[in-house]
Amino acid sequence: MNQQEGYADDIVKGFVIWSMVWGLVAVLVGVFISFQIAFPQLNFPPYLTYGRLRPIHTNAGIFGWGIGSFMAFFIYITQRLTRTSLWSPGLAKAQLWLFNIVIALAAVTLAMGMNRSKEYAELEWPVASLVVVLWVIFAVNIVMTIVKRREEQMYISLWYILATLVGVAVLYLVNNAAIPVSLTKSYSAYAGANDANVQWWYGHNAVAMVLTTPPLAIFYYFLPKATGVPIYSHRMGVIAFWSLIFMYLWTGAHHLLWAPVPDWVQTLAMGFSVMLIAPSWAAVFNGYFSMNGQWHQMRENYLVKFLIFGITFYGLQTLQGPSQSIRTFSAFIHFTDWVPGHVHMGTLGWVSLVLFAAIYYTIPRLYHSEIYSIGLANVHFWLVLTGQLIFSITMWIAGVQQAAMLNATNPDGSLHYSFIETMVELYPYWHMRAVGGVIYLAGLLVFLYNIYQTIAGAKTQAVAQRA
Amino acid sequence: MDSASIYYLGVTLILFLIFVVIVVRTYSKKHAVRGEEPKFRMMDDDYPN
Repeated sequence: MNQQEGYADDIVKGFVIWSMVWGLVAVLVGVFISFQIAFPQLNFPPYLTYGRLRPIHTNAGIFGWGIGSFMAFFIYITQRLTRTSLWSPGLAKAQLWLFNIVIALAAVTLAMGMNRSKEYAELEWPVASLVVVLWVIFAVNIVMTIVKRREEQMYISLWYILATLVGVAVLYLVNNAAIPVSLTKSYSAYAGANDANVQWWYGHNAVAMVLTTPPLAIFYYFLPKATGVPIYSHRMGVIAFWSLIFMYLWTGAHHLLWAPVPDWVQTLAMGFSVMLIAPSWAAVFNGYFSMNGQWHQMRENYLVKFLIFGITFYGLQTLQGPSQSIRTFSAFIHFTDWVPGHVHMGTLGWVSLVLFAAIYYTIPRLYHSEIYSIGLANVHFWLVLTGQLIFSITMWIAGVQQAAMLNATNPDGSLHYSFIETMVELYPYWHMRAVGGVIYLAGLLVFLYNIYQTIAGAKTQAVAQRA
Repeated sequence: MDSASIYYLGVTLILFLIFVVIVVRTYSKKHAVRGEEPKFRMMDDDYPN
């Protein structure tokens, strides 16, 4: 524990550093598999194939980089908003060890081909069971810290943190219900269309409870900290929170439009998905209105640039997502490259930009130092922004072209193009996506170098002061 | 409409009513000042009380 300040911040350092390690793994593997699609000869069976590496990319990105960072900032934020130290720093230390063991086990088992074939729920039951233990440890520590808080009212970030803890637990337990037949193989407890429905109830709400509520908690905390001005409206934040929670859990079936699940389930999911625009944009407007009289900080304060671009991508993401949930549009873009373009605007644009800002804000404070180079932070910003935009825009164009080809028919009603003909036409876009990925990776390396130098400089300074 | 559908609709309505209560309470005049307090208090949380 950092005795001087009374907050258990050493553990925050650990989670931040390890999340950056897993983030680098996620992007490296992501760039490699983008090259594998552009150049199929880069697939080396059995371990280094797209099929084995793709879930490693998503698990390292969402669970290693995403959840690792969220654990760091939930611990950092909760202590400060409750004005009390972490309930159990020892438990958090055990959590950090278990977190890394789980992510490493996930990478190894997925590379060996142990996979439940459920997107974002690929891990077989022994590893999934460890994830449950990990989450219980984490949730108990955060909830107990909130219980013993010294602040009577809870700031909006704490509501989002609590929703994440409860939401992830419910989703993970229900969707991972399985019957093990061996140490490395299990079968889902659900069958057929029910299994698909549960999977996408989980899958889309993983987007809600992992890629939306935690970054919102972090955004609501770090934007006022970065600008020095409180958020525009706390009450608007509270209403947006409850409406988001009320609506999100019904939307999963929009992944199953035109599939053999009841029509009313699909319509319900579509309706709630469109309604979600309101709470999502309430958060966006809260961010924008908080900048009233402060827009000059976009030019002067690199943290603000990351945060405001991040919330802007969240806004765009939450317009594009509901559009995609409408039956006619879904019929057009489903099963095309439009979808990875959409997903990466959320993960690279929204989630990662907010996390970069949070890391830039906290690391110098945790190490009692200054950031090594604001210039490098700006280079980092422009590289990741350029890389992400090249990636997403290229995939959207590729998706529209692919959709148009897949839907083209001859006068007799037969398909004009075969599936493989659409694939051949996509090669130029896949090359561009790989270029976008390389630019993003370059930006990430600049970021890691900047953070490394900040920490190294702080340690050197501490040694000099002691001497 | 079978019993499962009525149950499903009932749960939705209950959740909606809870949501309405939250909105009314949050935006009540009585709660106006108090509801905005946390955003000011969080600006100075670098040290515990």
